[in-house]
Amino acid sequence: MTAPRTQCEISFTVNGEPRTVHAYPMERLLDVLRHHLGLTGAKEGCGEGECGSCSVLMDGALVNSCLVPVLQAQGTVITTIEGIGGASHLHRVQQTILDCGGAQCGICTPGIIMAACHLLSKEPQPTAEQIKEGLSGNLCRCTGYAQICEAIAEAARETTR
Amino acid sequence: MVGMSVPRKEGRDKVTGRAQYIDDITLPGMLYGATVRSTIPRGKINKITFGPEIPWDEFVIASAKDIPGKNCVALISDDQPCLAESIVNHPEEPILLLAHPNRHLLPQAVESVNIEYDPLPSLFTIDESERQTQIIWGSDNVFKRHLIEKGDVDSIWQQAAYIVEGEYTTGAQEQLYIENNGMIAGFDPDHGITVWGSLQCPYYVHKAIMKLCNLPEKKVRVVQTETGGAFGGKEDYPSMIAAHAALLAIKSGKPVKIIYDRMEDMVATTKRHPSRTRHRTAVDRDGKILGGEIDFTIDGGAYATLSSVVLSRGTIHAGGPYYWPNIRIRAKAVATNAPPHGAFRGFGAPQSLFAMERHMDRIAATVGISPVEVRRRNFLKCGQTTTTDQTIREPIDLNPLLDRGLALADYRAKKALFAKENQIATHKKGVGIATFLHGAGFTGSGERYLASIVGVEGCADGKVRVLVSSTEFGQGTKTVLPQIAAETLGVLYQDVELAQADTLQVPNSGPTVASRTVMVVGKLVQSAAHGLRQTLIASNLLQPEHSPEQFRSACAKYIAQHGELKSWARYEAPPGIFWDDEKYRGEAYAAYAWAVYIAEVSVDLATYSVAVDDLVALQEVGKVLHPVLARGQITGGVAQGIGYALYEKVVWQNGRMQNGQMTNYIMPTSADLPPIRVYFEELGNEHGAFGAKGIGELPMDGPAPAIVNAIADALGVPFNSIPLLPEDIFQTLTRTQPQYAPPAPQGVR
Amino acid sequence: MRSNPVDYEFVAPGNLSAIVSLLAERPGEWLPIAGGTDVMVQFSAGKLAARKLVSLWNLPELRRIEVSASEIVIGAACTYTDIRGHTAIAREFPLLATAASWTGGVANQNRGTLGGNIVNASPAADSLPALLVHEAELILISARGERRVPYTNFHTGYKQTLLAPDELIRAIALPRRFSGYISYSRKVGARNAQAISKVCVAALGRLANGVAKDVRIAAGSVAPVPLRLRETERVVEGKTIDSALIQAARKVAMTEIRPIDDIRSTASYRSAVLGNLVGGFLEKLAAYAENATNDVLARWNNLSAQEAAEQVLPCCGSSAWARELAACRPLRDEAALIAASDEIWRRLQADDWLEAFSKHPRIGERKAPPTAPSQSASWSAQEQKNVADAAESVQRALAQANREYEQRFGRVFIVCATGKSAQEMLDILRRRMQNDDATELHAAAEEQLKITNIRLKKWLNL
Repeated sequence: MTAPRTQCEISFTVNGEPRTVHAYPMERLLDVLRHHLGLTGAKEGCGEGECGSCSVLMDGALVNSCLVPVLQAQGTVITTIEGIGGASHLHRVQQTILDCGGAQCGICTPGIIMAACHLLSKEPQPTAEQIKEGLSGNLCRCTGYAQICEAIAEAARETTR
Repeated sequence: MVGMSVPRKEGRDKVTGRAQYIDDITLPGMLYGATVRSTIPRGKINKITFGPEIPWDEFVIASAKDIPGKNCVALISDDQPCLAESIVNHPEEPILLLAHPNRHLLPQAVESVNIEYDPLPSLFTIDESERQTQIIWGSDNVFKRHLIEKGDVDSIWQQAAYIVEGEYTTGAQEQLYIENNGMIAGFDPDHGITVWGSLQCPYYVHKAIMKLCNLPEKKVRVVQTETGGAFGGKEDYPSMIAAHAALLAIKSGKPVKIIYDRMEDMVATTKRHPSRTRHRTAVDRDGKILGGEIDFTIDGGAYATLSSVVLSRGTIHAGGPYYWPNIRIRAKAVATNAPPHGAFRGFGAPQSLFAMERHMDRIAATVGISPVEVRRRNFLKCGQTTTTDQTIREPIDLNPLLDRGLALADYRAKKALFAKENQIATHKKGVGIATFLHGAGFTGSGERYLASIVGVEGCADGKVRVLVSSTEFGQGTKTVLPQIAAETLGVLYQDVELAQADTLQVPNSGPTVASRTVMVVGKLVQSAAHGLRQTLIASNLLQPEHSPEQFRSACAKYIAQHGELKSWARYEAPPGIFWDDEKYRGEAYAAYAWAVYIAEVSVDLATYSVAVDDLVALQEVGKVLHPVLARGQITGGVAQGIGYALYEKVVWQNGRMQNGQMTNYIMPTSADLPPIRVYFEELGNEHGAFGAKGIGELPMDGPAPAIVNAIADALGVPFNSIPLLPEDIFQTLTRTQPQYAPPAPQGVR
Repeated sequence: MRSNPVDYEFVAPGNLSAIVSLLAERPGEWLPIAGGTDVMVQFSAGKLAARKLVSLWNLPELRRIEVSASEIVIGAACTYTDIRGHTAIAREFPLLATAASWTGGVANQNRGTLGGNIVNASPAADSLPALLVHEAELILISARGERRVPYTNFHTGYKQTLLAPDELIRAIALPRRFSGYISYSRKVGARNAQAISKVCVAALGRLANGVAKDVRIAAGSVAPVPLRLRETERVVEGKTIDSALIQAARKVAMTEIRPIDDIRSTASYRSAVLGNLVGGFLEKLAAYAENATNDVLARWNNLSAQEAAEQVLPCCGSSAWARELAACRPLRDEAALIAASDEIWRRLQADDWLEAFSKHPRIGERKAPPTAPSQSASWSAQEQKNVADAAESVQRALAQANREYEQRFGRVFIVCATGKSAQEMLDILRRRMQNDDATELHAAAEEQLKITNIRLKKWLNL
């Protein structure tokens, strides 16, 4: 066994709240969110950055949290699915995904919603091609994507009303 | 509200990240478990040693010796061990279980268990298994055989104008649910075993744990947690992982969680059975089928598990939606030294229907008629019999369905256009058709044996609970069954919920498989709900015409008087549905859904890759109970069918999957799929809730043959094997079509 | 997750000099990690050999892009998103911007870095062929100082590089001398997104007098390292591209490479497809070469939108026309250019036509109005040279007629003067004086169209 390494203190903002955790610097951000902070919305589907079900926003950028060592999240602003929408209301993307049938088994849904919010923050009126590209890092095995893309297009349309 | 797209019951939890899947759940004092698996395909276990660098005294270790009951994962036969004792029969076969409070210590511990084997010769393909150079299972490597005979096949060959032969093969396919398999088990001597986890069939797990742990019914409890996709991959496998967690829980006295990572899930758990189908068909001068022989073989892996039932369905669907006056279908499931194959949406039918639909195009080409015409001339009609002598009684007419499909796909115009443009284009385009059927519910006497029970319960607050063991894993069980109950009871959808699938709370309404949930279980829900309403009316607490409010108070009053309000319904086979298990004849399914799928493809001759540009999915489904969910089922199934045809290849080496990562096992992304255009027709179904037929698996049958038919149309070359990768197209083209061959390499000097 | 985080040391000093010192103290002991899209996959799989890591993520010294007159210098920790979003890179190095868009999905592009891609040294990496054809230079840094190495030599074997154990890539320098080059890239993966390449090609070249010049072709996933196809380039250099040359080049390309069978694909497939992609590049070059005016059009195709509009403006005079024509790029040849120009012109509003008309001098006047660009003025003079040679009486009549026209219609009389005598133009003017306003506006517009076409052709042949 190698000599024991020490934990470090990571301070960051998570869903608007300042948080501090004690973790090993190579712990994955995904595991810190899920186990240290009890934010189980981000999921592990593959552990290799292929499926996107662990997606969160880090300083406004969509990232696969299974590939982020928590030390690199020091001082960043993190948004997870738990930070989308509010206690009593849904974000319009959450609502349109529900209305359009964009969630079936739901395991990819948090990551998909993070990707959709990220896309709309960069492209408020995305074309169909841009929606497909924005989702291309999120795998969904249930829906075939069509109703997810429609939900995002609908959410984009709602902002113009 | 049946026919309306009511909100998904658990939808809000799913979009807010609040839904609790098994890996989101932690119990106090919980340990984590891991599995030590065979690294060889077949052999004797000689010696197990534990490496020195691990603090083994901190670990709980379980082996076959720790199994209180029978060392098997009970399913149909009991041949699959829960833990290998002295012999292993496939790579990744479970041998030992380890548990520790710190999940991070487990991977290294697993690596540090050293197992020495005496390898035995192994078999990896259908051909090898048939040759019987080794006997690896039973007396002849055959798990099961079926024989269907109708008419007098041997007499028709002389009359044939053409005899058309073909061999078609399909590869393994990984279900690739995005949530890996996982279970938590807890044990205490008073209550027995409780298992929570990702699963389709709580009572399958219940039965398996009872036998493994030698516990009575009431001392095993199975609870389904939110399940992130299944597609059949969580039909039988959960019994294995639950058994493992249970053994560790018994040995440690603590709750134990086992969660697979993606690689373990892909390489160690079940996949779709690979298949080989041989057709020999006698056809008259007009392309009408006089009769034929079909040889259908599936590779079941090392243990029997579900292979006999997969074989069943594949065999019965092998003749497609066509009239066979004479036929002989010989079918078998054979053993190889690979992890056992299992259920995956379609369950044998995608395999045999792929062959049938490719073969129809071959017949058309041989006779010199179009793929459209050959189908028209052979479609089953109302009043005719299937290969198992089942008379088609519903008023299905496949010709107008085909017409509608062709119109939606603009088939004729495209065919003409592509024929012209392909002469000069570098992207060759083609269109292909698949016409097919899918029987809903368990095959033959299956539903009778299941004897499903359903309950509907009225609560003191006037709300209603539906009690079924049918599970939600995205397809909408939790939404549609309450929808059915609410409609029947005359109450608000919001007031009806599905009870959690917990064997302590719900009866056994059968497994959530075989496209039976809405049709069969839904009909029982209808009956039980009807019964509940009748109880209240008979007690004079409710009028036949009532408001939801009146129902609520009637319910509350009844419970105040009697303590409980539950209504049960048990499956009864519809009259006129007879199946002879021995002769393998009769009414195989209570209802069939019928479909026409048309694919348009382009093949890029620079890269030999195929893009599906359009896919029309038209199906007759009895009744659409929930339009958004129904469309979602078809679209998702078609996406998996496209993967089956073009992308999803399992790379095998000595019985082990080599590409067990999402980087190398390729499923389509949002950027890979065409517009999938979904259309329904509704003819009703007397045997299904509100006229519905099952649709969960239907969309898996059509895309692959339609796409490969389209590729053959584009290139003028037949392809008979899936998955069909660009490398395969390249190889075939350069071998058979010199005009497509790249120039031979030539050095400068 | 098959690694135990407890077993790893991971530090983030936060500045480059501290990191460089650390690497100098213990060369080879610390593994630099930027966005982690390769390293963390290995970590998750339990396959990461290194036990000590140092973070390069988001270091300001490594995550900036500097544009000078001669080169663009991309910090090694710039992400693919940084690269895609940088206007100058997208405009001048489309091969690199495209490669960045191929790598993973958005989430991986937000974390994957160019430096990481280079150091990881997978022959399948998407951006490396682009760096090869642009002959990038790597700026390496260590405690011993900085050095520049040509990227061409950087990969020495499968996943082996020239990087010393105490060294980092600080930046990647791309020379800004490829404007007007025709570029081609194609990645062949197992699916359209999130795919490791089976074959990948990036190519550049230009045409001079219809022959291929300075052709560069690089390929990924066909050898242990990303590969410049130098033999193939030699076969093509300085030659006219015809189908015989394309066939010859394809054959040579297929011998330069060393593809293998692996879990993703086969050697024979890779070889054939690589040949097809090389052919695709050469066919693209050939298409541009069809017309002798190639160079001008090819260069113009690669200008910025504003520069392109400015360059064609003298041909017509309408800024809307110039803008829309620039937006049609790339245009393959003269025919495509004229067709696009005609279509745009006919769609314009009256105000745009008037703007164009206003750039012309009166017929007979030497001096163009002050608003006309000098090129336009010189062309006007050329077009109207017949008037200068006409008899004085005709010149006077023409001047008088012009004045009457201007009084009637409120603008200069527009006629396509090329090849017409002064007398002919006078006759035309007198006839058109009979037109009503609407008819005359269209007549003038048709004339301007002819003038524009003549000027565009002149411009292409410069």
